[in-house]
This record gives sequence, structure tokens and C-alpha cells, in this order.
Amino acid sequence: MADAPNLEAIQRELCSEIQTIMSLESGSVTTQTHLPSLGMDSLRFVSLLLAIEKKFGVNLMKGGLKPDDTRTVPNLAAVIAARRAQVAPRRDA
Amino acid sequence: MSFSLPYSRHRRYLTGIDWIMGAIDYGARGANGFGCHSQAILDLEGMVDEGPLRAALDQIARQFPLLRGRVARDWLNLAPYWTTPPADSLPPLPLNVVQVSSDDQAERLLDEHANARFGSESDHLRFLLVQIGQAASRLGMVFDHRLLDAFGAESLLRLIDQTARGHLDEIAPRVRQTEPAHLDHWQRRFLSGRTLNRYLIGLGKQSICALDKPRSQPRPSVRFLHDGLTAEQTADFNRRATEEIGLPIILPSAAARAIIALKQTIPIMPLAGEQLTLFTTVNTRLPGQEWEKLLFNQLSLMTFSAGASGSSSAAQIATGLRDQFVDQTRLQIPFVMEDAAALGRICPHWIGSRLMRLVNDGRLCTFYFVCLRENGYAGDCFLGQPVTNLRHKPLTFFPPGLNICMTSFAGRFNLVVSYLEGSLPDSVAGRLLKEFKAALLE
Repeated sequence: MADAPNLEAIQRELCSEIQTIMSLESGSVTTQTHLPSLGMDSLRFVSLLLAIEKKFGVNLMKGGLKPDDTRTVPNLAAVIAARRAQVAPRRDA
Repeated sequence: MSFSLPYSRHRRYLTGIDWIMGAIDYGARGANGFGCHSQAILDLEGMVDEGPLRAALDQIARQFPLLRGRVARDWLNLAPYWTTPPADSLPPLPLNVVQVSSDDQAERLLDEHANARFGSESDHLRFLLVQIGQAASRLGMVFDHRLLDAFGAESLLRLIDQTARGHLDEIAPRVRQTEPAHLDHWQRRFLSGRTLNRYLIGLGKQSICALDKPRSQPRPSVRFLHDGLTAEQTADFNRRATEEIGLPIILPSAAARAIIALKQTIPIMPLAGEQLTLFTTVNTRLPGQEWEKLLFNQLSLMTFSAGASGSSSAAQIATGLRDQFVDQTRLQIPFVMEDAAALGRICPHWIGSRLMRLVNDGRLCTFYFVCLRENGYAGDCFLGQPVTNLRHKPLTFFPPGLNICMTSFAGRFNLVVSYLEGSLPDSVAGRLLKEFKAALLE
């Protein structure tokens, strides 16, 4: 897993992805942004999860998410990193 | 290579979902004599004065002449478009004011108002102000779905209030009235058409449960039953829905409860078929676009299915619907529909309506389902009077003849079952609403 992105890289990618999906200007989503306040609807939220699946190879829909997981970019990035860590040993095995 | 029809201030080409809504409206008129329209109702404390309301409506009608527009077609390629008439030739928006002494009388009048047909091709809005003594008022607004979707209708009610407060001049420039035709990206549109075609063929292979069209009345009216959840019950449902499917979206859980309610009612309902299929719309506006995208339809369409038999729990059905939601999003169905319809719009609405009827003999779904978690009103007063509720009476037409609707106001869900008179007994519709509410609270 030498090429696995670190937490900061995941956060950067997430900010960029959310900006694209919500048609927001670059730099408008940061690690401080309260994600529910962006008003992301169900269609866009699922689109974000599909983008995460494509980019990081983790299916967040299968394991489910707690309300806290989707409150901020760092929280969501931490879940992605944790799920990647779970998936990686299985792949290696 | 791309080619665009000329941009005009006086015409708006009906592309994408607007074209689909036009075809549905055409089919609805053929089936029942009325088009695709709904009523939004503001429940208010105190008496709303007629004068300021009429003045605000007149200002809005002058500012947006396209509210009195009509659908026409290019003589060359038949592309349907919305015409905008000259502002100085327009009559005022119709407003009737009546006084009654009880809530029941008010509700009866609103039902009649919702069921009345529009008088001409240029009528798309009409208002009824019911004053219940000095204590309360109801304002009903019937709107043509070709011009406004449910969220847009709520925003228009907000615009009336903002106009009365003198804010029309600052809001009006933000409202987008016309758009270029976008006859470009042909390859992408053809691929979208192919994807949508395959999806519809798949849908057509299912044996979809559907009500029979009432035969006794050639022009049946629509009946409405209304109930609601408290703010605590709504918050509790939202929390449970999120936990149930592991995602912060409520549509699958809400739709699962509607399916459970229908299953409970099936033994006493004239439904035949193997699949309960619901057809739903998803609001595609981004936050802050309520004025820019006030007019026309800003929606995506989706369908969901569950077996009519079997004893799956609400959680199991919700999980299945969540997976269907994800699969349709993965296949880009909500987005390809927009693209593909833009391609098909060069054919007249009657051809579009015929094509839709080819799918499973016109039975696209068992029932329409509406789930609006957000509302477009975003205010607690209307013309100085406190708003106690904002609800909808969606008309439904055959097929499917049945609509289960939940909209939100002030953190509370309104629940409505609307059905074509004669398509099912009133007692069964009442039971359906009761079961739906019970399932949401379980």
C-alpha cells in the first residue's frame, strides 16, 4: 500500500469532488466546512459516494455511514482511510 | 459540430424534463380531460386581506408575462416551445375570494378548486383565498406542472409575499425565463437515448400492479386525504431512516413505508400484477437556486420496484430501494433522461405520449410517490399573517390513478393520498393513508 493516499490527500480530493458535484467555486469547501449546511440532496450525495468508490476503491454504501461521518470532510476522509485499511489486507492476502 | 436554435426572449424551447412533462400533460388530457396540475395550499392564522394579495399578483403577472404563455411548435421542425405574450395585453391572474364559517367548508371549496380545469391554453395559475371568519385563511394556488414543479410552486408563493414587501425588483432579474435550445452533443444524447431505451424495455418486462381506469365516469375528479406527522415524529423518522439504510437520505425508507402500506391494503384493493412500482421525482436545484430556477421543471425522474407478495420488513424493502437508487445513479438514469428527452423533443407531444403508453400498456407505475424533504417557502409569514402549514393536493391521472405524497413544512411531514374517483373505494384510500402513517411511526 505504498501508493495509498494519506489523510490530507484524501481530504483534498474530497473537497474537490464536493465542489464539482455542488457546482461550487474552487476553495469554497474546506476541512472546516459543515457538510450538511451545503444542502446536498440525495441524488448528489449518492453521486459523491459513487465518486469516492471510483477514486478510492471503497464502497461506503455497503458498510453504511453514521450521521457524524458525513458532518465534515475530515470525518468522511477518516472513514475512507479506515475502510481502505480494511480492504487492503484482504487484497494482499 | 453543434447547432443551436436561435435564442429568443419570447420563446423557451421545452427540453429535457419540460418536454417529458409536456408529453405527460398531453396523455393526461387524453385520459381524463385534465392536464398535469396540482394545488399548493397555505394555511394561515388570521384574515388575509384581498387588496394586497391582488396587487402583488398583478405586479408578478406584469413582471413575468410568460406565466400567461402557451405551448406552440416550430413550423419547420415541430420543436415545442413556450411562448411569452406581450405584457400589456394580459388579463390579471385569476383570484377568487370566498368567506366560509368552517374548516370543512374551506376544504370542500379547495377540493373543487383543485379539480377545476383551466379555462384556456394560456391559463396556468389560479388562486382561491378562503377566509374562515376572522380567525384563519387558506390560500390555494393551482399550478400547471408544465410551468412549475412543486418546489417552484412553493417558491412562487414566497415570491408573492416578497412582492407585497416590495422586493420584486431585486428578485425578478435573478429568475431565468428563457434558455437556448441546446441542440448539440448529438453523440452523447444518442448514447443517453440508448441507455434510457434499455431501461424502459426492462421496466416494460415487469408485471406492474395497476389500478383499472374507472369506467363509470368519463371525467372523474380526484379525491384527497390529508394527515401529518408532528415535528418530533418527523425528526424521529428522519433519524431512523438514516440508521436503517446507513446513508443520510430518507427517500428509500419513506418509499418503503408507502409500499408496506400498499401491501397491507392490497387484499381489499383492485390491484393485479407482480411488482409494486413507484415513480418519483427528485428536485435537482442546488441550494441558493430557488429564484434562478423558479420556473419550469427542475427535476429528475426515478422508478423503484418491490414484489407485491412476500413478507419483507420495511428495513429490507428500504435497503432494496437504496440499492436501486444507487444503481440508477450509477447508470446515470436521472441524468440521461434529461439528455435523451432533449433529443426526442423534436417530435410532437402526442408522439411522446404514445411512446410512453407502449411501455407495459401505459402502466409505468403502480403509484406516484412524492417525497419533498425541503420546502421552497422558507418563511413563517404570508402578507403579515403567520403560516401554520404549507401542503399540496397533487392531482393524479390514469395511469396510475394513485398518488402518495409527503411534503415538509417547518420540520413536519404532510401526508396526502390522492386518487381518481371510482378507481378505489374511499374507505380503502382512508385505510391506505392510515397504514402509511402507522408505518412511518413504527
